[in-house]
Amino acid sequence: MANILDFSLADFFYNDNSDVLSPPDDFEEWISHPRVLESFRFFEQQFLEAPRTDSRVLSGVDGEKRKVINLTSYNYLGLSTHPEVIQATKDALDRYGLSASGAPLLSGTFDLHIKLAKKLAEFKLQEDCILYSSGLGGNMGAMQGILRKGDFLVLDEKSHKSLVDGGTLAGAKMLFFDHNDMESLEQMLEKTKGKRVLVAVEGVYSMDGDLVKLPEVSALCEAYNAGLYVDEAHSTLMFGENGRGIGEHFGIEEKVGVSFGTLSKAFGGVGGFVCSNAKLIRYLKGYSSPWNFSCAPSPAVVGGLIKALEVATRDSTLRDRLWKNVRYLTEGLRAMNLNLGGTESQVIPIIIGSSGETLMQLASEIQQRGLFLQPVDFPAVPAHSRRFRISGSAQLTKEEMDKALNIIEDVIAKKLHSSS
Amino acid sequence: MTKDQIIDVIKQNIVDNLDDVEYDQIDPQKTMKDYGANSLDMIEVVSCSMRELNIKIPRTELADIKNIDELADKFKEYADGN
Repeated sequence: MANILDFSLADFFYNDNSDVLSPPDDFEEWISHPRVLESFRFFEQQFLEAPRTDSRVLSGVDGEKRKVINLTSYNYLGLSTHPEVIQATKDALDRYGLSASGAPLLSGTFDLHIKLAKKLAEFKLQEDCILYSSGLGGNMGAMQGILRKGDFLVLDEKSHKSLVDGGTLAGAKMLFFDHNDMESLEQMLEKTKGKRVLVAVEGVYSMDGDLVKLPEVSALCEAYNAGLYVDEAHSTLMFGENGRGIGEHFGIEEKVGVSFGTLSKAFGGVGGFVCSNAKLIRYLKGYSSPWNFSCAPSPAVVGGLIKALEVATRDSTLRDRLWKNVRYLTEGLRAMNLNLGGTESQVIPIIIGSSGETLMQLASEIQQRGLFLQPVDFPAVPAHSRRFRISGSAQLTKEEMDKALNIIEDVIAKKLHSSS
Repeated sequence: MTKDQIIDVIKQNIVDNLDDVEYDQIDPQKTMKDYGANSLDMIEVVSCSMRELNIKIPRTELADIKNIDELADKFKEYADGN
């Protein structure tokens, strides 16, 4: 292999090995190289405590058990570790056991599942809701359940893999429009005029933290008679006056045809859900494989999620705390002249540039200083904009944020400014 | 291998992977996007062509390529190096 460090996971998808149970020969050569192994030290590091902002990790960097400020968790509102949520989960566990022990259609639907689905539909101002055991399964399952061969799925180019995989599984023709570019979207809709078309966008884009231009997207969908699917994985419970998400934020919830959300991010549990009109949900239950061929979500988790929804929506305390913290972090980072891309949310990238080596070196140093902030490398993001990605959280204290900002300034800002 | 032969390989893979594209209508000065390819289709065409040409180029080196002709130049650079 010419220069081993020029390669990435993007280069080994196709496998020519005559032994179907073995990866490509050059993949083995690549992944065993000491410099590549160094990058992989950051993956699958073991947390030894709950996903609070103050946590402990068994470091992949040096093998030490270390106290860290965790700025990478999706526990945006702290609901995963909220005492009332934990108690509700324990109560459900005592009453229902660990597993639903069946697919939803046969024996896996409990009264708890019906209750959560009903509450989520009401919360999202939609007629009905279908629950999935994972967020990825929800997006994939919705695409696969709604679309057929010959249909068109028009996606923002920064859409999550689960939407793309769902489109592939459905056999739909996929067209990607330039990120948040309405002219590009219109060109795609012009091409697909008269066909069955679903436009899929995300409320908050997960690697950049910017928002969908929902009013414009919605107007184009109306003009071209396309369905509108909004993935609110990173916006539900956080955006909008009542936390209902990006549709509420822009005041056009009634324009959203299908609203998808995860239960693993702000909700603090695991799973996914799709809200829409009752007829479509009924139809999905017939054809969406991750729903009808998978065990239903754990009743213990569902018990906790019902409480999480209640805690997050009974008042705005957690949301207000989250946004106060996000403002504080963002202002602190901007004062260091760091490139935060176009963030408008709790997802705050710190864009480092094209050097994977610099990214990994900084990642190692900040972790040894006590900050858990994961590097995001190509191909997850473009090669010229490798980055760190901060997840703001309502759990953060001012002391934790000050400490984290100090580490970022000492390690990342100093390095980037000295090299520029 | 000549550049024309490399362009032939790429064109054949475009025909095999995209709907409604005829071999003779493909202009190397255009992009695969012009023929209706999305990013997944492009990866498919590039990967199949590289396998056929027995070369391997990191994806990061392909990011700035503007059209089929430039892709052929990059492929030739690696094919000549083999």
